[in-house]
Amino acid sequence: MITLCRTQLVMAEFPDEKTVRFHGILEDHIYAMEVEMDVSIPDGVITKVTGWMKRYTNPVCPQAMDVLQKAVGMSLREEGWMSKINREIGRLGCTHFAEIILECGRCLDEARLALAVGQTLEANPQTDPNQAARDWIDAHPETMIPCVT
Amino acid sequence: MTLRFMRNKVMEVEARADGTLSVRWRVVDTFLEAGIRLTVRPPDLEIIEAEAEMPRHPYPERAVDTELIKDIVGVRVGAGLRKIVRGLMAAETGYNELSEGVLECCNAVILHFTVPQIRAGEGIPLEQKLEATRANLKSNPRLVGSCVAFQPGSPIMLRLDL
Repeated sequence: MITLCRTQLVMAEFPDEKTVRFHGILEDHIYAMEVEMDVSIPDGVITKVTGWMKRYTNPVCPQAMDVLQKAVGMSLREEGWMSKINREIGRLGCTHFAEIILECGRCLDEARLALAVGQTLEANPQTDPNQAARDWIDAHPETMIPCVT
Repeated sequence: MTLRFMRNKVMEVEARADGTLSVRWRVVDTFLEAGIRLTVRPPDLEIIEAEAEMPRHPYPERAVDTELIKDIVGVRVGAGLRKIVRGLMAAETGYNELSEGVLECCNAVILHFTVPQIRAGEGIPLEQKLEATRANLKSNPRLVGSCVAFQPGSPIMLRLDL
C-alpha cells in the first residue's frame, strides 16, 4: 500500500527576453503549496514572488507568507544560494516554500536551454535537438558552473 | 502563454508486508530523466537496498555515476543524513540530482511516519494537541527553530512554555 506520495511540478514560461516566470507546486498527503516567481535571466535575481498555502499543519504556517517576500532580491547564481534560501525562507518561514524555490532555481538553466532549443527547432525543424542543446551549452559557460550548496 | 519547460517529480513510499519500506523517486523533464529505488528497514531506518538510473541528462559531462548510490547502503535515515549522503555521492560538487533525490526519498520516509501522527491530532482538543506537540519537541529538539511555527516567540512556542 502506498502510504505517502509527493508530487513536485516546476513549470517555466518566458514573459519577456530577460525574465523567466516559474510556477512551482508541491503536493503530498500533508502539505500543498504553490509559488510563482519571476527571475531575471542575466543575474538570476528573484524579482517577484507570490506564494499560496493550500494545506498545512498548524495555524501559524501562513505567517510564512510574509517571510517568503525576503526571497525578492536573492540571486539563484550567487554562491551559497541554496543554503541562503533554506536558512532565510525555510527555517524562518516555511521549509516547503524553500523547497519549491530550490527546485525552481535548479531548473533555471534547463528552462533557458529548453527555450533556446525549442526556438531553434521552430526556425529549422531539421536541426538535431541534441546538437542544438550542445551548441547552446557551449555558448553559455555559466550553465556548467559546478552546483555548490 | 505556453510553457517552455516542465519538470515532474514524484516520490512514493510503500509499506511492504515484510515490514520494510519501498521508496520510489522519479524525475522527468525536457532533458533530464532519473529514477531511484530504496528499501528502508524499520525500526532503525537503515537503507538496505539502493538502485538508480539516469537515462537522460542535459549536461553529459555532469551526469552522475548511478553506481555511486550503492555507497549509501547501510546509512540510516536520521541525524547527519544530509552531510553523509552528499559526502558519499557528491563530494566534489556539493550536490547532484541523485544525492538530492536520495535525501528527498529519506524525507518521504519521515513523512510516512508523520502522516498518522498528524491524522491522530485532527479533531482533538487544543490542550491535548499542545501536549502532543510539547512531547514531540522534547524528543525532536531539532524541530525548534526549524520553521516559522517553531521560532522562539511564535504563538505555538509561547503556549508550549518549554
